[in-house]
Amino acid sequence: AAGAAGGARLPRALRADGPPPQALVDDTEDVSLDFGSEEELALRKARIRHPLATFFHLFFRVSAIVTYLSCDWFSNSFVACFVTILLLLSFDFWSVKNVTGRLLVGLRWWNQIDEDGKSHWMFEAKRVPTIAASTEAEARIFWLGLIICPVIWTMFFFSTLFSLKLKWLALVIAGISLQTANLYGYIHCKLGGQKTISRVTSRLFGTADVPKRQSRRISEDGTEEHGKTGTR
Amino acid sequence: FPGLADVSISQDIPVEGEITVPVGSHSPDEDYSTLDEPVKDTIMRDLKAVGKKFVHVMYPRKSSALLRDWDLWGPLVLCVSLALMLQGGSADSKDDGGPQFAEVFVIIWFGAVVITLNSKLLGGTISFFQSLCVLGYCVLPLTVAMLVCRLVLLAGVGTVSFIIRLIVVGAMFGWSTLASTAFLADSQPPNRKALVVYPIFLFYFVISWMILTFTPQ
Repeated sequence: AAGAAGGARLPRALRADGPPPQALVDDTEDVSLDFGSEEELALRKARIRHPLATFFHLFFRVSAIVTYLSCDWFSNSFVACFVTILLLLSFDFWSVKNVTGRLLVGLRWWNQIDEDGKSHWMFEAKRVPTIAASTEAEARIFWLGLIICPVIWTMFFFSTLFSLKLKWLALVIAGISLQTANLYGYIHCKLGGQKTISRVTSRLFGTADVPKRQSRRISEDGTEEHGKTGTR
Repeated sequence: FPGLADVSISQDIPVEGEITVPVGSHSPDEDYSTLDEPVKDTIMRDLKAVGKKFVHVMYPRKSSALLRDWDLWGPLVLCVSLALMLQGGSADSKDDGGPQFAEVFVIIWFGAVVITLNSKLLGGTISFFQSLCVLGYCVLPLTVAMLVCRLVLLAGVGTVSFIIRLIVVGAMFGWSTLASTAFLADSQPPNRKALVVYPIFLFYFVISWMILTFTPQ
């Protein structure tokens, strides 16, 4: 009884403004694992769960190709076209490698140099499907975009070579190498060249992320301001 | 319900949920929580890495930061800006500086690839992209020299301006070569250092020559 009385008093003391016991029930409901169930259902039903990532995956690649094809109409300046297409290709490479691969198909590849100076290429595939994992539509869009664009750039290479417009050759070669690098990396991930070393992963990403999460945990346990569980 | 204190419930569920999530192997999953935040984090992390490397080039100390996390963003930016500043300068630019722009690009990247292949054939321990990264970042002093030259050329094209440009380009050329040698020569066995240094010398010499002989129309 003393414990119950103490328990009844304790939450009110911790709450800032002392709301009625109704809020106590709400706090418990927030703490339960049913948080956001409607959003989760909507997420599960949606065919595209990462609309921004899907958009950007295709946007940079397609813009680069469209710009290359139509640069004679838009501007007379070779340099402006060259720089624009090059920047689009670089942004595409970065976003496909670092963001959309992670979000759309759960694959990631990167290069790592250890202390001996030897370089290792790491390929990683996510095994545990989460609620916000990718759908089939997204995966299809990802792979189609990944495969079709290098093919188009290879066609541009041959057309440039045979029409002897050699000043574009450097750009086309850059485009082919950037896009083929991503294609190769992701195919390697997919086909199981998985050298996932969790120790190394935790060293790379854990050292930056873990203190943040640990401090969040500590604050959650200590202050009870958000009674919610972690991210999912 | 009064018996169920807030404290006990919120202690149980978060602690269980978070203890069972292993941080190491599932750390990519943690990034899936929001779409915007991790992308911003990724961008900021990469930008900071690029900025740190620029600082390292200006003050070359023997540090492995440049060598460990290589990236080619800095070289791309430097190459594009150098090529932009160099175009429209030579005698026969009947186009809008088209061939010269692509020429500078090809010279820089192809030259860097050749130097890297050379150092790897000589038995160096540095990896391909690391070497490209270092060579690209060490073009920074020469880009600064190009900027200064263009400013000096705005003032006049005479002997004095030529001497000023010569001094500036020479100093920056020396800085570039020393900076890249400081990073790259260590990866070679001692009797091969000169064999590795002289292509780097040639590479920056060619770029410096392009900068020095630039005369606007």
